[in-house]
Amino acid sequence: MSRTHRLVTAAVAALALTTLAACGGGNVAKVGGGSSAPTGKPQKGGTVTIAEVGASPNDIFPLLTATNSNGYNADLTLGSWPWLVYSGDGANSVPNPQESLFSSLKWSDGDKVITIVLKPWKWSDGTPITSRDFTFVYNLLKTNYNDWFDYVDGLFPVDVASVATPNASTVVINLTRSYNPQFYEDNVLATIPLLPQHAWDKSSLTGQVGDYDQTASGAKAVWTFLQAQGADMATFATNPLWQVVDGPWKLSQFQSSGYYSWVPNTNYSGPDKPILSKVIWTPFTTDTAEMDTLRSNTTLDIAGVPLNDVRQIPALEAEGYSVAQVPNPGVAEILPNLYNPTAGPLLRLLYIRQAMEYLINRPQIVSKVFAGYADPGNGPVPVLYGKQFDSPLEKAGGPYPYSPAKAIALLKAHGWKVVPGGTDTCVRPGAAASDCGVGIKAGQPLTFQLLFGSGTASFDQQNAAFQSTEALGGVHITLKSEPFDTLVSTTGTCNAQSHPAAICDDWQLEQYGYNTYLMDPSGAGSFNTDANGNYGGYSSPEMDKLINATEYGSSTAAFFAYEDYAARQLPLLWLPNASFVFVYKKNLAGVTPLNPFSGLLNPEVWYYTTSGS
Amino acid sequence: MTWYLVRRIGQSIAVVIGVMILTFILVHLEPGSTAKAVLGLKATPARIALFDNTYGLNRPLPVQFWLYCDHVLHGNFGVSYTAGQPVSTLIAQRLPRDAVLLGTSTLLALIIGVPMGLYQALHHGTVRDDIVAGTWFTLYSAPDFMEALLLIAVFSVHFHILQPNFPGGITSVGGLFGDLNALVLPVVVLAINSVAGFSQYMRSSAIEELAQDYIRTARAKGVRRRLILTRHLLRNALLPIVTILGLALPDIVAGAVIAEAIFNFPGMGLLFWQSALSHDFPVMLGATLIIGIATVLGNLVADVAYGILDPRIRHAVA
Repeated sequence: MSRTHRLVTAAVAALALTTLAACGGGNVAKVGGGSSAPTGKPQKGGTVTIAEVGASPNDIFPLLTATNSNGYNADLTLGSWPWLVYSGDGANSVPNPQESLFSSLKWSDGDKVITIVLKPWKWSDGTPITSRDFTFVYNLLKTNYNDWFDYVDGLFPVDVASVATPNASTVVINLTRSYNPQFYEDNVLATIPLLPQHAWDKSSLTGQVGDYDQTASGAKAVWTFLQAQGADMATFATNPLWQVVDGPWKLSQFQSSGYYSWVPNTNYSGPDKPILSKVIWTPFTTDTAEMDTLRSNTTLDIAGVPLNDVRQIPALEAEGYSVAQVPNPGVAEILPNLYNPTAGPLLRLLYIRQAMEYLINRPQIVSKVFAGYADPGNGPVPVLYGKQFDSPLEKAGGPYPYSPAKAIALLKAHGWKVVPGGTDTCVRPGAAASDCGVGIKAGQPLTFQLLFGSGTASFDQQNAAFQSTEALGGVHITLKSEPFDTLVSTTGTCNAQSHPAAICDDWQLEQYGYNTYLMDPSGAGSFNTDANGNYGGYSSPEMDKLINATEYGSSTAAFFAYEDYAARQLPLLWLPNASFVFVYKKNLAGVTPLNPFSGLLNPEVWYYTTSGS
Repeated sequence: MTWYLVRRIGQSIAVVIGVMILTFILVHLEPGSTAKAVLGLKATPARIALFDNTYGLNRPLPVQFWLYCDHVLHGNFGVSYTAGQPVSTLIAQRLPRDAVLLGTSTLLALIIGVPMGLYQALHHGTVRDDIVAGTWFTLYSAPDFMEALLLIAVFSVHFHILQPNFPGGITSVGGLFGDLNALVLPVVVLAINSVAGFSQYMRSSAIEELAQDYIRTARAKGVRRRLILTRHLLRNALLPIVTILGLALPDIVAGAVIAEAIFNFPGMGLLFWQSALSHDFPVMLGATLIIGIATVLGNLVADVAYGILDPRIRHAVA
């Protein structure tokens, strides 16, 4: 049950940092920090211009249709229609109670019933936000969930038995089963916005607002109407529908190139009322174009820095920028195909995966490939954010720190002739504990092909490092790169059911980037049997049980149990995950600490300390 | 001339239809799932089925081709999988700006290249000829992106004289001219690569013409050198340039991809490149067809112009 991480995708998009450096320097503050923290009295007004690389938002209706995967739309809409549960409090992976739309959220009846009391906030047109706005969203999704991009099999709204609204500010959700409250709040309620029923519950622009959403046909008609309006880029900034917002910002200008601007919602009820008078999002075709602009003393106020260009950070600081980084809420990995006809029998053996993980020099990749700006990749949960999710094992470096000696010992103990710098071969075939293992023949070489996305310098360097250190244990790796979209489109899920399938022949190991997490870095959807994101066919009843406990149980210890088991079992080979680095004008305050869950950018808390641009 | 024109137009239409068929087949030979490329690695089978159904990708290939032809005949080329907009809208946004960028740079290249070629022809075999040829070939040999980055480093980063790229808010043709400072570097970079070609064609052609009897006769009659060059030599020597102008269009568009990426100029080249990477078939087909039509038109215009400039051509085919 993997949830599409549109929000985080947008964050990546906003500060595109896909190219990383082999070396670099600069005074970059660590987790959620900045190299300088301007102090002083906030100056009212001013315009901030934010660079977005490759940005092309194309829909403004916050509930996107299932075939629209454009992550930049979240950047466009999040400032106007925030989620019911606001993700991230500063740099911490917890809900933000001040910015969230609820004043209380209580679980009862064995964690099957949620009672949400909404804050007495108002829409931008002065109408109070009420429980009817929640039922409007629920009714639309109940009828149209198959056409909602963020729908995840079995979760909201399908898992809702009924919704009651005892009064204008209270919503009672009766779920069909018990959930772990933390999981549900972090990964489900934090992806649902409230929408203005009093303005949007209609099926034509000139039609009257009604209670159309309360019938299936009406909900269908309203959904179709709103989807059509939401896709009409020419009217994004002028359509009266989109001027009714509950977030801190309103769209004031939009061009099909991806250039748009926000002005403050003067009726915003939240605690952080915008201080700036305008925010401009300006698109760049490539990060090269963005970097050239930064270096040319122009008006960009905040922009991502590709890690390939971190050597330019001192020059950017001289141009008047501060630098900061924020960890990436996700996990990077090499995906083993356990059902590849050649490599599958090898990769299904835990000791082979363990030996390969021992041979990955993750500290070296962090320092040399990512210039120090990366999570170490000790296991399934990044340790640079979400402290409450980090088990002692992960904090201590994970179960398989770099050790060619341990890898070699492990392989020898299982009947392999180890040839450092060459290719190991099986000399003791068989199924006993000290043999090579089931399906491994005498003389079989320990060799794999790693397929990865082309065009990203850091991936080239990282995978070359992987190839080099694996060779120290005699594990021979050949590298093959393809355009990323080709990689994605040709990767088929391989598991016990699909095997043998022709598509499983095409890849043995794959490295395509990283998996994104919402606030709760659950393994659901990636490591449980037959999960949608489990492409390599990993299956373990124990893992399934532990993941279920994190999703449906109530024990806080369940998460660490899952995390440590996954870290040890290696459904994926763990890799370091690059952080985001960006620069912002030195006289711009409030930018840090960064929130990795809100698109990184919360301009409502930014202000100029001297003369704004 | 009329029959010649009709025949050439007929050939052009046949070529365009051929381009449509060929590109459609080639695009659909691309391996992998289009839906997965667009929706991402974690797209569920249900969502992939919905995507395929929405865009007709689950239909037989001949039916898909028919739908494509239907879209083309209706002038919208279908809907982009990634942008969610009609392809015709995406092209209409970019084509006029590309026309300005490519047109201006080509014009600049001609203004520099033609006199330069003529100059070289007149000084054929001298050191001056070698210096000019060497200079332009050096610039021609250098990669576009390197020239672009060097010019940006000098004029934008170091001296802060020129803008390194187009502001993201500029979407109209008028906007381009409203920000001429931003237009300078991309036009110069694109022109540099065309100047060498134009000047060398002009040089060869002019050298050839200079050896013709009519030039010798004109000289013998005492016609002034300037008149020989402008009235006799230039008109005849320009004929090959007219031809390569039509043929050069795909190269110019290909070069524009680099310029668009570096100078933040969202044009046809970048649109095509990005659509190819993301399996956005309608955009790929639409962009290819437009570039194909432009190339065919360029050739057609060149042929017709050739016929007008050189009566022997139209008489030979009549």
